[in-house]
Amino acid sequence: MELMGPIPTKSRLEAYAKVAKYGFLIFLMLIVVSPFILGIWTSFLPTADIAKGALFSSHMTFQNYVDAVTTTPILRYLFNSLVISTITMLAQLLFCSMAAYAFVFLRFKGRKVLFYVFLSTMMLPFEAQVIPNFTTVRQMGLLDHYAVMIVPFLTTAFGTFMLRQAFMQMPNELKEASDIEGLSHLQYYWHVALPYCRISLLTLAAYSFLGSWNQYLWPMLTTFSDKFRPVQDGLKQLQSQETFNNWGMIQASAAIVVIPTLIVLFIGQHYFKAGLNEGSVK
Amino acid sequence: MEQQSVPSKTGVVGAGHHSVSSRLSKAWVREHMAALLFLGPSLLVLGIFVFYPMLKTLYLSFFLTNDAGEGTVFIGLTNYISLLKNPSYIASLVATLTYVILVSAITVVLGLVLAVAANQHLKGIKIFRTLFSSTMGVSVSVAAIFWLFVFNPSVGILTQLSNALHLPVLNWMTDPKLAMAAIVITTVWMHLGFTFLILFGSLQQVPSSLYEAAEIAGTSKWYQVLHITVPMISPTLFFVMIVTLIDAFKSFGLIDLMTAGGPNNATNLLVYRIYQDAFLNGNYGQASTESIILTVIIAVMTLLQFKLLEKRVNY
Amino acid sequence: MKRSKIFGMLALLLMFSVGLAGCVKTKAASKTKIVFWNEMTGPAEVQLDKFAKQFNASQSKYEVVPEYEGSYNGVVQKIIQTHGSGASPALFQSFDISTTQLGNLKLATPVQKFIDRDNYDMSKIMPVAKKFYSKNGQQLSMPFNTSQPVLYYNASLLKRLGIKNPPKDPSYSDITRVATQIIQKSHGKIKGLSVEEYAWLLEEFMANQKEEFANHDNGRSSTPTAVKIDTPAARTAMQWVRDNIKKGNFMNYGSGSNAAANEMAAFLSGKLGIFLQSSADIGQITAGTKDKLGVTFYPHADGHKANGVAIGGASLWISNDKPKNVQNGAWEFTKFLMKPENQAKWQEQTGYMALNKESQKTDTLKNLYKKVPAAKVPSEQLARTVPNDANSGILLEGLVQERVLTQTAMQQIYGGSNISDSLKTAEDGMNTFIKNNNKANGY
Repeated sequence: MELMGPIPTKSRLEAYAKVAKYGFLIFLMLIVVSPFILGIWTSFLPTADIAKGALFSSHMTFQNYVDAVTTTPILRYLFNSLVISTITMLAQLLFCSMAAYAFVFLRFKGRKVLFYVFLSTMMLPFEAQVIPNFTTVRQMGLLDHYAVMIVPFLTTAFGTFMLRQAFMQMPNELKEASDIEGLSHLQYYWHVALPYCRISLLTLAAYSFLGSWNQYLWPMLTTFSDKFRPVQDGLKQLQSQETFNNWGMIQASAAIVVIPTLIVLFIGQHYFKAGLNEGSVK
Repeated sequence: MEQQSVPSKTGVVGAGHHSVSSRLSKAWVREHMAALLFLGPSLLVLGIFVFYPMLKTLYLSFFLTNDAGEGTVFIGLTNYISLLKNPSYIASLVATLTYVILVSAITVVLGLVLAVAANQHLKGIKIFRTLFSSTMGVSVSVAAIFWLFVFNPSVGILTQLSNALHLPVLNWMTDPKLAMAAIVITTVWMHLGFTFLILFGSLQQVPSSLYEAAEIAGTSKWYQVLHITVPMISPTLFFVMIVTLIDAFKSFGLIDLMTAGGPNNATNLLVYRIYQDAFLNGNYGQASTESIILTVIIAVMTLLQFKLLEKRVNY
Repeated sequence: MKRSKIFGMLALLLMFSVGLAGCVKTKAASKTKIVFWNEMTGPAEVQLDKFAKQFNASQSKYEVVPEYEGSYNGVVQKIIQTHGSGASPALFQSFDISTTQLGNLKLATPVQKFIDRDNYDMSKIMPVAKKFYSKNGQQLSMPFNTSQPVLYYNASLLKRLGIKNPPKDPSYSDITRVATQIIQKSHGKIKGLSVEEYAWLLEEFMANQKEEFANHDNGRSSTPTAVKIDTPAARTAMQWVRDNIKKGNFMNYGSGSNAAANEMAAFLSGKLGIFLQSSADIGQITAGTKDKLGVTFYPHADGHKANGVAIGGASLWISNDKPKNVQNGAWEFTKFLMKPENQAKWQEQTGYMALNKESQKTDTLKNLYKKVPAAKVPSEQLARTVPNDANSGILLEGLVQERVLTQTAMQQIYGGSNISDSLKTAEDGMNTFIKNNNKANGY
C-alpha cells in the first residue's frame, strides 16, 4: 500500500488546503457572477432559441446587439444618463465642498444650528417628498429636461458631511500659514483645501455619479420623451414595450448598460477602495 | 456684544478702540458674506427641494385631495387613522419590515463571508476581490432584467433546472412568499459588492498579530472569525447593516420592474405604495400620509446610524 | 491619485459622451411639432409609428412625434399633472375608464368642436364606440383603439390532441371541459386555461351577466356613490377559475405587463391551450405562430344568457393647453388615423376593431378574414350585443384605483383566499375612495 502512494506529507496537506481554499473562492465567485454570466450569455443567443428554453445554441450571434443599437434608443438613453450624472457629480463636488468649507473654516452666527439643519436632511427621504417636488419642478418649467434630474440634487447633506470630515483633518498649520500669506477664503478653498482633500472628493464623485446613474423613481415621474430619459428608465421602457418577450435583445440592452460600468469599476477599483476607506472609516 | 460693552464700562476709550472694533466688524461682515457665498447655494437647494416639500407633504396629509391633486377638505388625522386601521397598509408595513431585515441580515453575512475569504494571501486573490465587488457596478434595472430571466416561469434557468432534475417548478412571481424571496435575493445581490468592499477594507485594519496569537494557541479558522474578526469590526458591521437597512426601506425600482407590488400586495413596499397611491390612483392626500410615516421610520433609522457613526469615529 | 489621472478619466468620460452624441441623430424641426402620448406596445406601437411617419410625409405643416408613456394606469395622472406645462402632449391616448375623470377636468378641447367646424362625417364611425366617448351629445374624444374581450384557443393544438373545439358562445363549463381535456390528453404537458389577474376581465364577467358595477345606472343618471364587486356574477366567475385551478387545468401567470407577456409567450409556444384577453392580441398571435387560431365570444355563466361585453381600449384627446395650430395638427392626425384604409390596416396589424364602417370594404380586411376567419369574431360579438347600462362601460372617476383593488382581490382568490371576502375587501376599499373623492371634488 505504501508503494501505491506516498504518505501525505505536510506540504501535501498544504496543497490540499490550497485546493479547498480556491474551491471555496470559486464557489463564492460563481454565486456573485453567475447572474452576469447568464445574462451576457443569453444576450448572444437568438431569441427563438431562448423562447424554446434552450440555453445552448449552435448559432451564437451579435444580432441582439445590432438590434438593440439600431432599433432602440439605448445609446441615447446612455448618453442622457452620462450627461445627467456627470453634471450632477460636478455640481455636488462644488456645492458640497463649499458648504463643508463654510462649516469648517468660517466663523459665523448660527453655524452650529445650520449644520444640524443640514444633517437633519439626511433623515428626510427624497422618496417621501416627490409629490410637492413634482409641482415645484413643474412650476419651474423643468419637466422633461436634463435640468429636472439635476437641479434637485445639486447638493447633498451626505456629501457636505463627508467633506467636512475631510476638511477637519487638515493640519492647522496650513490655515495659519495661508492666513499669514493673506490668502482669501476663496483662494484657500480653491488652491489649498480642495487639492488637499482630493481623495475624499474622488470618493464623493464616485458616489454622486453612481447615485445619479441609479436614479429611477424621479426620472420616471418627470421625463416623458426618449430625448431626456435616462438609461434606468429607458431599460424599463424597452422591456415593457417588448410584448413578444424578445429576451435576447433585452439582455443585450442590459449588457450594453452594465459593461461600461464594470470596466470603469475594474479600472478605478483601487482608487475607489482607497477613497471608501478614507471617507467612511475615519 | 459683550466685547463692545466692556471697554465702554471701564471707560478706556481711545482711538485704538474704534479701529479695532471696526476691523472686527469688517472681518465679521466679511466672514458672514463668505458664509453666505459658500453656504447659500446649498441652503437654497435644500430649502426648495427638502424642507418645503416636507412641510407641504405634512400639510397635504391632513387633507382630502381632488382630481387635480389639491387639498380641498381638511380632515385632521383621519388619513393617519384610516391607514393604520387598513389591513392592507399594515400588511405593507410588515412586508417592508420583513424585506429590510432579510436584506440587511443576508447582505451583511454574505458580505462578511466574501470579505473573510478574500482576506487571504493566495496567488490571484486580487482577481477574486475584484469579482466580489463587481455587483457595485450593477444598476437597478440591469439587476432586475438579469434576475427576471432567472425567475421566468417558462424559460428561466430555475424552471429549467427544476425540469431537468424533475423537481416541482416554482412560480416565483405569483406566489407571495416566493415573490418576496425573489426581490430579497436580487436586492442582496445588488448590495453585495458595496458591502464586501467596506467590510474587506475594515478587515484589513485588524492587526495581524491577533491572528498570529490565535494561530499559536491552535484555534480553528472559524473560531478566529467569530472571536476576533467579528468583534474587531463590529462597528463597521453595524454601520453597513444600518446603511443597507435604510437603503432597503427606500426600495422602489426593483419592485416596479419585477413585481409591481404583487402578488396580493406581498411586495407592496412603502415607497411603491406611495407611488401607487399618488401617481396611479391620484390619491395624493393618502400618499402624503404614507410619505410622512415613511419619513418617521427613516428618521429613526438615521438617528441610529448617527449614533453608530459617532461610536465608529471614537473607535 | 494624481491630478493628471483625474483629468484623464474626465477626458475619457467626455470622449465617451461625445462619441455617443455622434450616434444620436438630431433633426431640425421646422414643422409644427405634435407630441402624441400613447400606451401602445408590440405590433400596435410599430403600426402607430408607421402611421405617424406616413402622416408626416403626407404633408409639410405638422410633425407628429409619438411617445410611448407606459401603461394605461400610469398615464392618466401623467396627463393630469403635466397639463398646462411645457411637457404636456398635444394629442394623447387615454383608456376607456379614464373618460369620466378627464372629461370632468376639462383638459381637452372636445373633438366635437373640430367635427362641427370641418363638417366631419361621424356617421361612418361605429356607434357603440362613438357613444362611449361622448357626453350630452358632445363628442369629447375620438374613439381609436377599440377592443372586446374574447377567448383564444389554439385550434391546431386541439386538433392534434383530438379535442372538439369549444362553441362560439361558450359557457364556463364548456371551457372547463376543453381545458380538462387538454391537460389530460397532453399528459399534463400543456396547461388548459389562463385568465390573467386583470380587473378588466372581472368587470367584463359582470357585464356579461348583466350586472351594473356602479350605482346610478353605472353612472349614467348621476355621479355614482358606490360600487358592487362582491356580486353573484363576480363570485361565479371566480369560482369557475378556482375550479380550474383545483383540476390542475389552470396556469397563473400573475398580473401586470410581465404576466401578459409570459401568457402570450406560453400560448405562442404551444404550452397553453386557452386564454382570455383583449381582441387586440389577434395581430400579435397570428404573427407569432403558424398554428391555427380559434377565437370565441367571451364565456358566460352557465344558465345565464350572455348579455354582451363592454368595449375596451382607448380614445384620442386633443389637449386644450396648446396653441391653435398645434391643436389643428392634432386633429388632422386624428382624421388621418380614422381613414378607412388606415383603420383596416390597424385592425389587421393589431386586432383592435376597425371603427370606420367603410374599412370593411377594403381589401386589407377582406384578405384578413379570408386568411384568419377568427379575426371576425370580436366584431360579431359586438354586433349581436344589445346595449344596456351593464354593458356600456362604467362612468366613474378613480377607476384606476378600482383596477388595483380588484386585481389584488383576484390575486388573493387565485392564491386560495375566500372569494367573497376578497371581493368584499376590494369593494369596501373602493367605496371609501369614492366617498372621499366625491367629497374632495364637491360632487
